[in-house]
Amino acid sequence: PSGALSSLPFLQLVSALHSLTRHVVYHGLTRAEDILALFPENFHQNLKNLLTKIILENISAWRNEAQASQISLPRLVDMDWRVDIKTSSDSISRMAVPTCLLQLKIQEDVAVCGNSPVVSALTVELSKETLDTMLEGLGRIRDQLSAVANK
Amino acid sequence: AADKINLIPQDFFAELCEQIIQHLNHKISGVNTAELCQRIQTSGIEINVGDLAKIVNVVSFLFSTAARNNLSTEELVTTLGNAVSTLPKHAVQVIRHVWNEQGKSISVSEDARNTATVGQFVDIKWKLGVAMSSDTCRSLKYPYVTVTLKVADPSGQITDKTFEMTIPQFKNFFRQFKEMAAVLETV
Repeated sequence: PSGALSSLPFLQLVSALHSLTRHVVYHGLTRAEDILALFPENFHQNLKNLLTKIILENISAWRNEAQASQISLPRLVDMDWRVDIKTSSDSISRMAVPTCLLQLKIQEDVAVCGNSPVVSALTVELSKETLDTMLEGLGRIRDQLSAVANK
Repeated sequence: AADKINLIPQDFFAELCEQIIQHLNHKISGVNTAELCQRIQTSGIEINVGDLAKIVNVVSFLFSTAARNNLSTEELVTTLGNAVSTLPKHAVQVIRHVWNEQGKSISVSEDARNTATVGQFVDIKWKLGVAMSSDTCRSLKYPYVTVTLKVADPSGQITDKTFEMTIPQFKNFFRQFKEMAAVLETV
């Protein structure tokens, strides 16, 4: 289009598009006819179809984005581990104790941090016994997940 | 820290010292500072977790130093008296009593567990949930796992770390621990 875009109508356009896409995501619309129905009757036919097509292509990405940025407890973003053998220390000259070192990177609530997420690292040591405790707990979560999935 | 000890009623201070000694004796995995603090606060005393943690550190250091130097009860009380003149009498009484009963049994470090320099994992609590709806999505149906890890820091105090995982993340989490266990077997 020729001529300068004056600021206010442009902002209104962006805002309207934003509302439209948010409405589609909020209500979980997935069918073309549901989206087409949102447009007023005398809306430009080709533009309506084009917009609907673009929205349909992006819906799952937008929905995932909404899920990822909803309020939540801090989230696990990464995990690293290592198995060591302690061979000696200032108090014991010889030993062979296997031990696990685990580092979890945890990101604080995205809704609170916005564009500068705060990631903290938690380093934890596990012995064979405490590792078994962990596995037992995780096994129960897995069993519960299967039970729910089978319902 | 000594002036904060003044705030703690005798029975809570006794419980604190008990937990510290039991931790040093490897009978319990750590001192439940946060939980103890909450109970003290519920009884009307204004003390925050940070101050209580400092007190735990100080008393812990006191007991472990005394253990390493094989101090008798009287020697401990004398040292205490020289170092801190502002300790309330009931606190000194508690320390004397606890040390008398259990101080001798603290084995000074012939144990691999004393070499900890990072937090020790103590326990895991979990919850499986489904987020039904949010302000961005009316029908979410998003399953997730919430986990609270209890970790005893090097000073023996137990803290909680809570976080969420998606289901795929949880499956990976579980798989990693199984791998760790497998490696531990072979080592």
